[in-house]
Amino acid sequence: MTRGLAVVDLVVRARDGTRPVDGVSFRLAPGVPLTLLGETGSGKTLIAGAIMGTLSADLVATGSIRLDGRELLAAGGADRRGLWGRRLALLPQEPWLALDPTMRARGQVWEVFRHVRRLGVAEAEARTAASLAAVGLAAAARAFPFQLSGGMAQRLAFAATAAGEAPLLIADEPTKGLDSTLRDGIAALLRRHADSGGMLLAITHDVTLARALGGRAVILRQGRVVEAGQAEHVLTAPAHPYARQLLAAEPSAWPEARHPPLGRTVVAARSIAKRYGARPLFSGLSFALAAGETVAVTGPSGAGKTTLGNILVGLVRPDLGTVIREAGGARTRYQKLWQDPPAAFARHVPLGRLMDDLLRLHGIPRARLEALLARLRLEPALLGRAADAISGGELQRFALARALLLEPLFLFADEATSRLDPITQQETLALLAETAAERGLALLIVTHDAVIAAKMARRRIVVEGGEARVAV
Amino acid sequence: MSRAFGFALVLAVSLFSAIGPVVIPADPAAQDLSAYLSPPSAAHPLGTDHLGRDLLARLAHAGRLSLGLAVLSVACAVLPGVALGLAAAWRGGLTDRVLATAADMTMALPGLLIVLLVAGLAPGRIWPLWLGLSAALWVEYFRLTRATARVLLAAPEVEASRLLGFGPLYILRRHVVPALAPPLATLAAFGVGGAVMAIGALGFVGIGLRPPMAEWGLMLTELLPHYHEAPWALAWPALMVFATVFGLQLIASESAQGAGESPR
Repeated sequence: MTRGLAVVDLVVRARDGTRPVDGVSFRLAPGVPLTLLGETGSGKTLIAGAIMGTLSADLVATGSIRLDGRELLAAGGADRRGLWGRRLALLPQEPWLALDPTMRARGQVWEVFRHVRRLGVAEAEARTAASLAAVGLAAAARAFPFQLSGGMAQRLAFAATAAGEAPLLIADEPTKGLDSTLRDGIAALLRRHADSGGMLLAITHDVTLARALGGRAVILRQGRVVEAGQAEHVLTAPAHPYARQLLAAEPSAWPEARHPPLGRTVVAARSIAKRYGARPLFSGLSFALAAGETVAVTGPSGAGKTTLGNILVGLVRPDLGTVIREAGGARTRYQKLWQDPPAAFARHVPLGRLMDDLLRLHGIPRARLEALLARLRLEPALLGRAADAISGGELQRFALARALLLEPLFLFADEATSRLDPITQQETLALLAETAAERGLALLIVTHDAVIAAKMARRRIVVEGGEARVAV
Repeated sequence: MSRAFGFALVLAVSLFSAIGPVVIPADPAAQDLSAYLSPPSAAHPLGTDHLGRDLLARLAHAGRLSLGLAVLSVACAVLPGVALGLAAAWRGGLTDRVLATAADMTMALPGLLIVLLVAGLAPGRIWPLWLGLSAALWVEYFRLTRATARVLLAAPEVEASRLLGFGPLYILRRHVVPALAPPLATLAAFGVGGAVMAIGALGFVGIGLRPPMAEWGLMLTELLPHYHEAPWALAWPALMVFATVFGLQLIASESAQGAGESPR
């Protein structure tokens, strides 16, 4: 019997005859991590679903998936569910959503030892204590998930997943929505699983994670493998043009943004303070943004980055202090881009009608919209569609066009590209920086990616642990 | 499919109730004791009741009253319910607390008890029944509107419209109404069905409208003692209530499923 996972000529067919996964083959050996790298729609999550046996009923997988010599695709549903947690396990995305909010940390790991591994009560308790200590959570054993930080929740989810001691661990987008510190933490845990002889299949669009895991890498596009090999080779000198494009979209490979000369101050905060419930987010914060300047706001999730931006555009009032906007600058000249583009548009209404509403309200000539759409490389035909019927990248450019119609002095981009694919993210941010420079508008970007912050902005505001400071 | 059937049922009952009283020549109150409980015939297509009154005419007149009153009561519950729900979601704070408490207090009383209290003011009249039903029903529409609007008003799409300079009316028209209309229509369809039942039940126990007024529940009460002599006479009003409520339920549950399909 050969140890390992062998996927041969895997095809996933949809009912309409399309093949979102079209003939993918790879081998995964114990001790050598394998990363499937690709953008949304490349089929990488469907491959995980085919291995786990969780594909929806309208998708059919054919080909061969052998785990330690045993054919999985031929097995029935009950047989495959019997493998879950014991032979193969899936590390959940966004751990704080996957944990049981009403159960203490200890219990979430203990129940796996007790009910999945069927150990005795005393032994399960001993193993739980050891497992929590191994991920540095010994002191938090009695805490509920809401009392844990993001990193702790993530390590707890990992401990609960690993407690089943399944040899094959599948991590689907394990770094989604995480900042770089948390990303390094999860990469170390995953590496440890592989180093101790486990099989690790990581699925991601995060090139940095692929690099941190090492081992082998497979680059997917539209359901096919475009390149495969040693991670260090594939991720430094790829042969396929798409692979090169994907690597060039990594923030660390971006060119430095050019910074135009600074103009007058358009918005200034004077010793502002804000609390969230009883928790202080920041206090005594003063800074000014000049026309043409880009400032990045960084800090962990929930620290108050969005609140700070909302105070500057005027959506939220500070508890203390004042925000001074340029004299004569109308409130509508302070605009915002949202993280999830479809959430920022009225539903079921064609984009064209929303744009017409805006043109009419402010008496803007139609020619200005047409020029903007051309500048942002948006087809006018897209105006006939609703917000949820176009791609995220296109919609975020529509949001930018909508904001630019009002000739803003200040634009707040709140994680505006974090839900987009790397290549789309780079295009969108480059376009945002270009148009901001052309028009000399002040840009405040919130990002959890320190590299993006460094590439785009000369100054940074760090919001963390109840205080905010301006860093250069 | 079953939705179309529901529409067909409700449409048939509505047309019968709207046009019937005009085109049916018989007087619903004209008694003819010689034709007491006569079976269906050419002169009386559905037969007559225990006082020899034409059942077809009575059924149509009763439908106009039952359906009309139900629709009127629900409309008069939807309007204040939605308006107050919007006010609570928009203003928040004290306004929200006062309105939510009023809604909770209304919910603490059984709906029929409210109708009984108001109907007791002027027994046998139409307006207390209408007022009582509206007073019992408005809470559902208030709660639905408040819950939907509260989430929506804090959502990025409304934030965006506010930042772009749009006023409250635009936000209402573009964001709130399109999100609110489908669940509201569903709830109102259930509401009309429920009101038809409530009016019938009140008539049946003798608290609603009084003879000789024709009303489906009242017809059931009057005909019940004659069940053994003329079971078919009792079937007509029961069938009308059933068709109306069943049709409305079909419409409402189908549209509720449709609303559930779209995640956003």
